[in-house]
Amino acid sequence: MSMIPELKISGLRASVEGKEILKGVDLTVRGGEVHAIMGPNGTGKSTLASSLMGHPKYDVTAGQVTLNGEDVLAMGVDERARAGLFLAMQYPSEVSGVSNANFMRMAKNARLGEGNEVPVLKFHRELLQKMKALSIDPTFGERYLNEGFSGGEKKRNEILQMTMLEPSIAILDEIDSGLDIDALRIVAEGVNTLRKPEFGLLIITHYQRLLQYIDPDYVHVMMQGKIVRSGGRELAEKLEQNGYDWLKDELGIVDETVEAGV
Amino acid sequence: MSEVMAVSALAAEADAVFRARHEPESMVALRSRALARYEELPVPQYEKSDISRRNLTAFATHSDERASAGTTQDWQTIAGPYLDENGAGVLLVFADGKLVSERGIGALPDGIVVEALLDAVGKRSALVEKLHTVVPFDEDKLLALHAGLWRDGVYVSIPRGVTFETPIQIVHVVTRGGAGSFIHNLYEAGEGSSATILETYLAAPDLADHLHVGVTEAFIGQGARIKVGVVSDLPRRMTSVVVRRALVGRDAAMDWIVGEVGDGYTVSEIGSRLVGQGSTSTCHAVVLGSGRAHADLTARMVHEAKFSESDTTARGVMQGHAFGVYRGITHILKGASGSNGQQAEKLLMMSPESRADAIPMLLIDENDVKCGHAASVGQINEEQLFYLMSRGISEAAAKKMVVWGFLDPVLAQLPVDSVRGAVERVLERKMK
Ligand SMILES: Nc1ncnc2c1ncn2[C@@H]1O[C@H](COP(=O)(O)OP(=O)(O)OP(=O)(O)O)[C@@H](O)[C@H]1O
Ligand SMILES: [Mg+2]
Repeated sequence: MSMIPELKISGLRASVEGKEILKGVDLTVRGGEVHAIMGPNGTGKSTLASSLMGHPKYDVTAGQVTLNGEDVLAMGVDERARAGLFLAMQYPSEVSGVSNANFMRMAKNARLGEGNEVPVLKFHRELLQKMKALSIDPTFGERYLNEGFSGGEKKRNEILQMTMLEPSIAILDEIDSGLDIDALRIVAEGVNTLRKPEFGLLIITHYQRLLQYIDPDYVHVMMQGKIVRSGGRELAEKLEQNGYDWLKDELGIVDETVEAGV
Repeated sequence: MSEVMAVSALAAEADAVFRARHEPESMVALRSRALARYEELPVPQYEKSDISRRNLTAFATHSDERASAGTTQDWQTIAGPYLDENGAGVLLVFADGKLVSERGIGALPDGIVVEALLDAVGKRSALVEKLHTVVPFDEDKLLALHAGLWRDGVYVSIPRGVTFETPIQIVHVVTRGGAGSFIHNLYEAGEGSSATILETYLAAPDLADHLHVGVTEAFIGQGARIKVGVVSDLPRRMTSVVVRRALVGRDAAMDWIVGEVGDGYTVSEIGSRLVGQGSTSTCHAVVLGSGRAHADLTARMVHEAKFSESDTTARGVMQGHAFGVYRGITHILKGASGSNGQQAEKLLMMSPESRADAIPMLLIDENDVKCGHAASVGQINEEQLFYLMSRGISEAAAKKMVVWGFLDPVLAQLPVDSVRGAVERVLERKMK
């Protein structure tokens, strides 16, 4: 019973502490597709990711977001996750007192729903297998969630969680920052194993390098809290070579940050 | 509310009771001296805790009197969750002052004494000399009242050189309110001895107004290592005022462990007088306030000797309408050079109606010492909550996880597994 998921964002506006940051975002991500969002610092990329996941700091002031036709904005953060949304965060939190493995099992069971819990042994076998595939030492299962993990270890742990939770739409916010070259390849391979019609991906990145490993179907550029240009992977290559100035010139944008947006 | 019973009536009433109990003359004399001061001494004053607004006359001169009849729970129901059924070690359970269950007393190694303090004093009148030497009764009105009326509590003596590691657990349950509780514990640890004692205080949730004034005095001999855990879960209409103090000898170590989880009104002071050179003391406290709890906890470490060390840490979580105050007092007296006193306290407010205050105090009368403190009061970390919930975990479960993570640094230091287990079980049950 395979279903092609669809995340549909239309006219999304969001503010933080009264300041508008997202100024009308339109984007649709379907299963099987890989979308990349690029854009200079401070243009609203992480804000889009956080707003989609329901971070309490961000007030959505206009627009719609649906997942398979269901109103995402009406759901709590946990409900969004259980509905199939996943966000690999730019800065994952550290939580002591709960082991990484126990946390993932609780999350997995929450996603599967009451009565469908995964047997403990089966869970651990799967966890070990996936840790191995991502070159994560098994001792990281027993360590407290992200506590004292290096930047790169945290990123790998985000991907581990994603592969364990099997979301239908995942958003990866700068998953490549802080990863060394080998880790980048391993993480990208991990992501690629998930690619299938039941899984859609939205990748936020500054670097074309990640997109050499995870081949995007669409590339979007965000400036002033909006998507200002969309294209194929050649757009990413052009940005890598020439920077953003040519695009700003074409669009008549002087200051690309959200501060300047109208 | 706190009109006090006329001293003459109280003393006469009490005197008759003690004589009928055939207490040693010196004991009866100590009680009369204390009761003679009761009226004149001031009600204890605490910043942030005005106990004069509580019912301080909810007691009787002896425990059979004035107990408002009836409770919906027997002691087994109340104590059940706190007892380690499979545990080894000594267990004494007192309900309304009467011994209702005991385990392991017969199998105690030679020389170790664990018995009701009243019995102990009856057998060895020399013990009276020690009473109220670490916690003087003339510090305030309630201590004087306690010295005059104490009737429950336990005497533990660990002889010189004896190591007894299985915890000695003493449980006090109040099922009938109104009569008041006056619990006095006296611990003596001989030179080089080692032991762990766990005191647990419980009461029926629907208890009527009830005053508890408690004292624990501990004498820790040279090189001895003693751990005392205190778990207390007291209900709304209980007012509990307790002082626990140890006199720590040369190179000895005294560890206090506190788990305060009730919704009653509690004011407790716990700590050590470091009187022996090279002595050390720690206090690790976890406080979870629920309902309309008022939890006032002071950890007091007094450095009187050279090279003495103390370390106090506390983690408090206030939910509902709870109010928590934590005072860390590190006092280094002149002459206690080379001493080191550290304290760290963190309090968390879980609801808009809860309140918490952390008051660190360093009183230093000596130059050549080390001292440090870190205190914080705040709300639950929103980023952590968001992170956990973004993986599908419900808000309630995520909050619990964050709170566990917050308490963990102190829980992990609780030196006895069974103590930690008991505290964790209670926290799990009480956390909203
Ligand atoms: N919680 C917040 N409080 C205040 N300002 C915020 C908050 N979150 C975002 N902003 C502001 O919104 C703007 C967009 O931030 P955002 O993190 O979305 O940028 P970004 O495109 O992800 O940048 P980067 O590439 O550096 O990660 C910035 O000016 C930022 O300072
Ligand atoms: Mg960002």
